[in-house]
Amino acid sequence: MTTDTTGTVVQPKIRLSGIEKTFRWTRRGRQEVVPALGGVDFDIRPDEFLSVIGPSGCGKTTLLRIIAGLEAADAGAVRIDGREVTGPGPERAMVFQAFGLFPWKTVLDNVMFPLTIRKVPAAEAAERAREQLRRVGLERFATSHPHQLSGGMQQRVGIARALATDPEILLMDEPFGAIDAQTREYMQEELMRIWAETRKTVVFITHDLDEAVLLADRILVLSRGPGQVRRVVDVDLPRPRWEYDVRAHPAFAAVRNEIWQLLRDDLRAQTEQEISGGR
Amino acid sequence: MAGDVAAARLAGARRAPVAGHLVAAVVVFGSWELYGRLGNPLLLPPVSDVLVGLVEITVNGALPAALFSSLQLLALGFGTSLVAGTLLGILIGRYELAHRVFGPFLNALYATPDIALLPLILLWFGFGMPGRVVVVFLAAFFPIMINTYAGVRDAPRDLLEVAASFGVSSEVARLRRVVLPAALPLIMAGYRLGIGRAVVGMAVAEVYLRLGGIGALIVQYGAAMRTDLLLAAILPLPLLGIALTKVFERIENRFQYWRHS
Repeated sequence: MTTDTTGTVVQPKIRLSGIEKTFRWTRRGRQEVVPALGGVDFDIRPDEFLSVIGPSGCGKTTLLRIIAGLEAADAGAVRIDGREVTGPGPERAMVFQAFGLFPWKTVLDNVMFPLTIRKVPAAEAAERAREQLRRVGLERFATSHPHQLSGGMQQRVGIARALATDPEILLMDEPFGAIDAQTREYMQEELMRIWAETRKTVVFITHDLDEAVLLADRILVLSRGPGQVRRVVDVDLPRPRWEYDVRAHPAFAAVRNEIWQLLRDDLRAQTEQEISGGR
Repeated sequence: MAGDVAAARLAGARRAPVAGHLVAAVVVFGSWELYGRLGNPLLLPPVSDVLVGLVEITVNGALPAALFSSLQLLALGFGTSLVAGTLLGILIGRYELAHRVFGPFLNALYATPDIALLPLILLWFGFGMPGRVVVVFLAAFFPIMINTYAGVRDAPRDLLEVAASFGVSSEVARLRRVVLPAALPLIMAGYRLGIGRAVVGMAVAEVYLRLGGIGALIVQYGAAMRTDLLLAAILPLPLLGIALTKVFERIENRFQYWRHS
């Protein structure tokens, strides 16, 4: 149980308890050990937009993969609506940094993919996929192949595919990281609109401070590796945020600055450690 | 339209080599004809005689019958090669254990010239159809198996993960949804290389094992010193090889279009 800002008790959508992960492998006979997550405890609320930010190597992508069920934690558990996660499930869908579209499939077939795997009849799957393509404004590219589209368009296909099964949770791994700056701003706005329409619980990994603040209800700041919860920052900016200049809002600068201070401390510590040869 | 311009440029680029081919053909066949007429027609009959010979053995039914028998052998040998090469390629490309078990033997077999195995094949499988099929099979098997292996081994890990995240959990589904579609261009290239080799294997089998098909014609006309008919009987082999390779190239290109990114 957790309490939200208004003091009401909310059942968490996703509960992370004591998540630990260490990567071990052998290279040229030497055992390499990289601790990624050092015990993450956190509750994600229903329908909230949560940004996760942290210095590089803090294990934020690993955390997302564990929530997705693509990777098993060494210790701890992920619970969704109280049920422990043991693998990927239909209530979660992922959007990938490198888009992850199947190059041999048309745009429509890519969006239909999760439905086909879930054994939805072809005609219904096509109809539902078209609906999502309409939502991201790509219906007339249904028969194109991914390589014919720009990066921004490809990621819109990625988002449409994730929405196809109407999941409760969207897991987004730096989805706009590989997209040029101007298109990124447009995509952020589009994502806000889609989120307002569909109301899903979103876990959004990013390394972009502005992006984290712009989109989120709350920001989870992870400490440098092994990642732990450093701080949770509430973003009290009025919505819809595409109707005014969010970046000019005083609260935007305040939140951004708070996170930057946290990250800067970690960056400085990391640099000093590297200079003194501690690594 | 930019597309039209590009298409026009492409057509222009294609026209130039066609003119080149024509010039080369005139030079080669012209000097062949000339040499044949001036020199010893037993060693090298003029092209015109070869063409007359081709018409002769086509009309008297010798060539069509031989071709039919050869094509049967080709279909059987290449067909089994296609199935076995693809299956084994998937097996050793996807499963480390299979790779370790079969890998060394396949490498050894690959390094052995097929011609060195002919006496053995003769002993084991006899002069008949089975022996000949084995020769064709061996000729086409390795390009198919090796290409399938390479395509399957390099299955895109990121796309396997995407598939897993959307609920693909069985190995059969992984093969069907990700591994094989991703490997298809390489597999098809293996089939194209394989069919060309199979035609060579077919001629070898028919000449060295038991006389039959085109191979029998070649040996028969050679023994009779009918060089014109001999050349006329050889002619279908490269034509067949080129034609079949082109057909598979067409099929291959159908699976290749998305790779231009």
